[in-house]
Amino acid sequence: MAEERRGSWFGFGFCGFGQALGSGRGRQVHSPEPLQTPGEGADVCRVSASWSYTAFVTRGGRLELSGSAGCAAGGCRDAWASEALLVVLRAGPGRGAGTELQAWAPGSALSGEPLWAHTVGPEAEGEDAPGGEPQAGALPLLPGGRAYVSPRPPFYSPLAPELRARRLELGAEHALLLDEAGQVFSWGQGRHGQLGHGTLEAELEPRPLEALQGVPMAEVAAGGWHSVCVSETGDIYIWGWNDSGQLALPSRSLAEVGKAAAGEASGLKEDGCDVRTAEGESGGLAPFIAIQPFPALLDLPPGTDAVKASCGSRHTAVVTRTGELYTWGWGKYGQLGHKDTSSLDRPRRVEYFVDKRLQSFLFSTDPSNQKVIWPGRKKTIYLFERMNL
Amino acid sequence: MAEGDREPLARAGTLREALRALLPPTKEELTLQLGERVERSVVRLLREAVELFCGGRGGECLQASEAILDYSWEKLNTGPWRDVHRDWRRVYAFGCLLKAVCLCEEPGDAGAVAAALRVCDMGLLMGAAILGDILTKVAAVLQAHLPSGKRPAPGPAQEQPHEKKARHDRVWIPDVRSERTVPRLRCPSLQHFRKHFLVPGRPVILEGVADQWPCMKKWSLEYIQDVAGCRTVPVEVGSRYTDEEWSQTLMTVNEFISKYIRDEPRDVGYLAQHQLFDQIPELKRDISIPDYCCLGDGDEEEITINAWFGPQGTVSPLHQDPQQNFLVQVTGRKYIRLYSPQESEALYPHDTHLLHNTSQVDVENPDLEKFPKFAEAPFLSCILSPGEILFIPVKYWHYVRALDLSFSVSFWWS
Repeated sequence: MAEERRGSWFGFGFCGFGQALGSGRGRQVHSPEPLQTPGEGADVCRVSASWSYTAFVTRGGRLELSGSAGCAAGGCRDAWASEALLVVLRAGPGRGAGTELQAWAPGSALSGEPLWAHTVGPEAEGEDAPGGEPQAGALPLLPGGRAYVSPRPPFYSPLAPELRARRLELGAEHALLLDEAGQVFSWGQGRHGQLGHGTLEAELEPRPLEALQGVPMAEVAAGGWHSVCVSETGDIYIWGWNDSGQLALPSRSLAEVGKAAAGEASGLKEDGCDVRTAEGESGGLAPFIAIQPFPALLDLPPGTDAVKASCGSRHTAVVTRTGELYTWGWGKYGQLGHKDTSSLDRPRRVEYFVDKRLQSFLFSTDPSNQKVIWPGRKKTIYLFERMNL
Repeated sequence: MAEGDREPLARAGTLREALRALLPPTKEELTLQLGERVERSVVRLLREAVELFCGGRGGECLQASEAILDYSWEKLNTGPWRDVHRDWRRVYAFGCLLKAVCLCEEPGDAGAVAAALRVCDMGLLMGAAILGDILTKVAAVLQAHLPSGKRPAPGPAQEQPHEKKARHDRVWIPDVRSERTVPRLRCPSLQHFRKHFLVPGRPVILEGVADQWPCMKKWSLEYIQDVAGCRTVPVEVGSRYTDEEWSQTLMTVNEFISKYIRDEPRDVGYLAQHQLFDQIPELKRDISIPDYCCLGDGDEEEITINAWFGPQGTVSPLHQDPQQNFLVQVTGRKYIRLYSPQESEALYPHDTHLLHNTSQVDVENPDLEKFPKFAEAPFLSCILSPGEILFIPVKYWHYVRALDLSFSVSFWWS
């Protein structure tokens, strides 16, 4: 087994339900604070944040909830938190008994009977698959990549096996899928351009993003109404709704509030028109963009390669190869981590980690040890850091 | 009433009293009955916000209200609007109520009352009625307490726009004599209207029915600003809703008039398809529901009344609606063209779901190479003038262009 790297978790953003962010005082945390992970010496390997509570899973299989829901339970391999539903993947009793997918009401403290349960057959387990293929990605995608869960009916949805799903992410009204070959698919509602097919029409079935064909992607992430993917070479593509600057494209509402980071944006206030649909190229004198229905290539500072992206409902976070964290989009609850509550339509580095000489660390080769940014659906960000000695 | 002379604190005091008088007396009554769709965490936060409010902790209540508003706003933006569960709209309205009242708890600065009114209007626009339509009442109280009065100070150019020199000398007034015109009737009986127009689905202009409504005499720009100037309304910006640059935005009626009607507007702004009369009941007293609506199946409450207020030149592209329509013209004239639903093929509707009820053809400047059948499609047209009502049968295609500063009221019924 690869050398296990350990580090600390940090969080920032909305914590109005007493979710364990640092000091835990007040309803909002504007700068990263070390996470108070429940349990002494708990080795948290997975964090899933919903609006009012957070789920932590440790390497030992222990599940802890913090916030509006609180409980502890054992035998959990993975958890996925949403307001309506807490979904857990629990090891079946004994070898070969497979894994059970359980859905609980968040306030149930995992006692009594789950709302529903579904056995994930042992053949879906990737660990023992011939050829040593890595297990399929985390919830809401099930091991084996044959189905996924969702907080709304139908709660359990099969996926066509030929899709060879590697990762799946859910937005408020759409879904993104990344397959083994690095092709991105999307489906669901499209009225905010979040499907990336160039229209505002809905798609019932997974449809490949033609604009990205030929560029293998390493990661996908879904916000409430926007979508992000990261290519194997470290480029970021982004599309969907930009009302809070979450696409890092000029946002009219940000300019009007006077909080746009870019000087050009405020200069455009008089002449800029609210472009409802626009082509991908940004750069130069760009008009305001409310909706971007095609993938756009994002410019991070030169030389920066992205390795992981993650989204809250209206903000975006990206970790680079050199361990830096960039955030942009909606910032009203401090979820961007820049010590204020401004929203941004440009990427900005979170200086806290630079100041403390912390490097954000990501394993992409060993998914079971994957340390990722997990912004909460609505507000918060959690981040794993390695102490840079 | 020398409003401006009172002490700011005293004024704030009476405002607080007036608002408190509108709220339910007990904490238990200041709640919403919500179904399963609203998650427990939200219900808990609502209760907490009410506790904070009743406990006099306005600042913290404001914070909780913000969280309620932000969360429910996301629900309002998930899925098609018609599928948004009513409970989420009620939660949103409740958040607006708490926020508006908390904003006014502090000894008032003028900004606070205007901000609170804007919050109320957001609750009215996006929320659903709660606690006996309390937001409408709160808005009326706030409006009455705006320190500088309802209207902005008079500017240098105070003439009515129709007295001004025509800004657009080149407004094109179609010669409707060369086109087949919509028939006109003076006060037909209910039976006659039903037999000859409603049942067969034929358009007609009704004269002598609305011409004595109070709005015909009362509605000037000054009056509208007086009654509704500080209220927030949705405005469509852009020549027509099929354009790429078209967008919707929110602003006060005063801002709309000054930006898109008075001061040499650069863009076309249209206060269109807005249920202004639910938002501002005072205006509703100036209009009536045409008697002919009783020939329909629905109740009076189910009739949708929309305001259409904008400068010369606003255009509604050729489209059809799923209900019967009485379009009442109050101020200014509109050129209207009508095509029967039987001609739909010649009108080339968009094939997208969003615009399937809208034609691709620009009626007064059609691309006949792209849309050849359009040239032969028969139509009726008219210039609708103040006091007249146009009956647009269900699904009848219609195109509307304002020839002057115009105010129309439409009644959608079934």
